[in-house]
Amino acid sequence: MNSPTLHTNTANAQRFGTMISLRKSGVTFANPEGGSRTVLHDIDLDVPAGQFVALVGRSGCGKTTLLNMIAALVEPSSGAIEVRGTSPRDARPHLGFMLARDALLPWRTAQGNVEYGLELRGTDRATRRQVARDWLGRVHLSGSERLWPWQLSQGMRQRVALARTWALDPDVLLMDEPFAALDARTRVSVQQEFLELWQSGPQRTVVFVTHDLGEAIALADRVVLLGEGRILDDVEVDIERPRDLEGVAAHPRYQELYDRFRASI
Amino acid sequence: MSQITASEQSTHRQDDAPPGADVPASSQGRQPRRLRVSRTTLLVRAAQLVLVAVWLVAWDLTARNQWITPVLAKSPKQSWSYLVAAVENGELWSNAQATMLAVVIAWVLASTVGVVVGITLGLLPTFERILAPFLDAANAMPRIALAPFFIVAFGIGVQAKVALASTLVFFIVLSASRAGVRSADAEWLRLSAVLGAKKRHLFWKVMLPVATPAILASLRLGLIYALLGVVGSELIAAEDGLGQLIAEYSSLFRLEAVYAILLLLAGIAVVLNQVMAAIERRLLRWQPPADH
Repeated sequence: MNSPTLHTNTANAQRFGTMISLRKSGVTFANPEGGSRTVLHDIDLDVPAGQFVALVGRSGCGKTTLLNMIAALVEPSSGAIEVRGTSPRDARPHLGFMLARDALLPWRTAQGNVEYGLELRGTDRATRRQVARDWLGRVHLSGSERLWPWQLSQGMRQRVALARTWALDPDVLLMDEPFAALDARTRVSVQQEFLELWQSGPQRTVVFVTHDLGEAIALADRVVLLGEGRILDDVEVDIERPRDLEGVAAHPRYQELYDRFRASI
Repeated sequence: MSQITASEQSTHRQDDAPPGADVPASSQGRQPRRLRVSRTTLLVRAAQLVLVAVWLVAWDLTARNQWITPVLAKSPKQSWSYLVAAVENGELWSNAQATMLAVVIAWVLASTVGVVVGITLGLLPTFERILAPFLDAANAMPRIALAPFFIVAFGIGVQAKVALASTLVFFIVLSASRAGVRSADAEWLRLSAVLGAKKRHLFWKVMLPVATPAILASLRLGLIYALLGVVGSELIAAEDGLGQLIAEYSSLFRLEAVYAILLLLAGIAVVLNQVMAAIERRLLRWQPPADH
């Protein structure tokens, strides 16, 4: 763990210490029948700057709600939440967001889709063009700039979504099962692409929701298990970086963690 | 421009090939496809010509053998000679002009208002709930029954035709725009919100583009309905227009003229439809082709 990126990591950590912090946060939704349903309760979670956290759990365990809370899409009903030292809403300019479905806008070309976030944040046209072109190149899509989304394969579309996320240069990446909709082989290639991007740049804080235990252990620094609205387990993965996906699966620690979590997923 | 070079191709994982071989736009990939399409187009056109010929022959035989009431049994040749005469004496041109002027005014006016009202209702659900039953009731009214009202109110000039046609076009465009702005994908909105989209961004960059296909389709339909509305109004009473000509020749039992004008109207409708379809294809070139 003595790569040069670690310095940026520590610098970030000193500047912000914890990037994301939840204190006794809970979320309760009202039922249409008039009752209420508690999705999350008393969540205490600190994510240091630069850490890659995977949130795992069965469907309905509240992991997406937790992510939405960090993205300011859901207000906590109780407790407090801070992102980058401010409220989640104020931290939004520093967030990147990725979903299971690529959510590409069909009337924009690959290039136009990568520019979308930059456009919303008021970046000028020339910079936008340049940045989008660069990132499309980084995800191996040079030459596909002018293709419409329907002309791209699923894997290519999700890589465009990766480029769109990265083009914003976010401090925090929020990812909601970003590779879940891909077929097995494409998933591995896009995961590898993502891992390379993340390991090559200044290290960004990642909150990664997934129900794929293997994916969580292979990619993340830390795995948090949610169940029935609570944190059930919270473990450091402790496998050295840089990793590659094939190597990780053979690591003894991978198997150990896999066995530990498997029962509860 | 959109070519993937061999070296880039090799860096792609093979599992990640785009759908359909024509997509990476390699020159060999696209050429045969275009040829195939044009061959089908040729076949379609040829079949259409045959249908027209068959129909003309059937029409001619019906007239020649008097298979229907003699007063109705006018041959294509008779209709054609009327058409030639009417073009020469200018009667066709001036009346077609009057009809098309009313069509264009009604279409532009009603479409503009329809789009604005439709989008507004689409974005303001409560407002829409209040107005929905009234709009449904108004739309269910047989519009041709309003013609006498408009003619008394506006006279037999262009306004009455425009008014009647507008009541048709307005509702068509309104419902399409209303449904269109609502069809935005929840994921797009969620993503846009996190990326920092303001309300105006959501409107211009998501809701309006997503509504465009529906709106364009309704404009195409609306243009045809504008023609129907104008001609309908002219049939009831008007100082000029193709509908008025039809009414006049019908009362004189000159059915060959009526047939000729009806066919002319059908021709105009086809041309308008084709023009709108071409505009649609241009504006919606981001959509996959229908056979995809």
